[in-house]
Amino acid sequence: MTNGDDSTTTVTTPEYAPEQPARMRWAKHAPEVYKTMVRLDAAAQQGLDPTLVELVRLRASQLNHCAFCLDMHTKDALAAGESVQRIVQLAAWEESKHFYTEKELAAIELTEAVTVLTDGFVPDEVYERAAAHFEEAELAQLIATITVINAWNRFGVTTRAVPGHYQVGDFG
Amino acid sequence: MSRLSAVAKKGLGDPALAELVVIRASQLNHCAFCLDMHLALAREHGVSEKQLDLLDAWEEAGDVYDERERAALALTEAVTVLTDGFVPDEVYERAAAHFDDTRLAHLIGLVVAINNWNRVMVGRRVAPGEYTP
Repeated sequence: MTNGDDSTTTVTTPEYAPEQPARMRWAKHAPEVYKTMVRLDAAAQQGLDPTLVELVRLRASQLNHCAFCLDMHTKDALAAGESVQRIVQLAAWEESKHFYTEKELAAIELTEAVTVLTDGFVPDEVYERAAAHFEEAELAQLIATITVINAWNRFGVTTRAVPGHYQVGDFG
Repeated sequence: MSRLSAVAKKGLGDPALAELVVIRASQLNHCAFCLDMHLALAREHGVSEKQLDLLDAWEEAGDVYDERERAALALTEAVTVLTDGFVPDEVYERAAAHFDDTRLAHLIGLVVAINNWNRVMVGRRVAPGEYTP
């Protein structure tokens, strides 16, 4: 602690909670599963707008509470030129639609429906709105992309992948 | 995606347990096609009718499932329903007590893989009843 004039010159570092270690390095224990995931990931995003892909990945990772995935995809999105505002507003996109295109909104809405299956199905209106903005092949890629980020989210949360250390380009 | 399921299932090395896990995730995700398909596969692998009938209430089903199966089912539920919370330490540790790291990594992979299929099939509304073993 400081007092008097010292208080204006002392830099205090906030005491954050300790970092929790990962539970398991799953890629080491299931290397074939990991390799298959990497291939699936690459195949799923083909033909899709990279900006849209990162929005989809971020929204699914928010819903699934995957800290590592949020760290990684926020950094990737920013590096690719995404705005801080669109990333911040994504959690409340229904109230901030004017930051996104109609096509992005349809994709984000589909992302939510496909991610939260346990509360219900994928409503016709959500599917049809997406189908109106994406042609059949592109829609199939989009569904695959949503599915694959859900898969990474599950690995990340279950094995408690540690957020904060990712640097853009870490995984090639 | 077929490859993901196949390598995960192989690494787990317990086809009957794999079907129980896959069916439980498909129940939670309401995937009709997946349930139809994996109920048939489970019977093929010799999973008992009683284990299939009571799966939706496995926690209350006494000794119908052994401790290893119960640990795997608890983990399956936690990994599947991420939107309501995380994977609790006690659930993870219970699974880790019954499966070594390699089998556990593949069990997690299997749950992830069926969650993928559930999403694709529900997303595209693929009709149940078309699967024949």
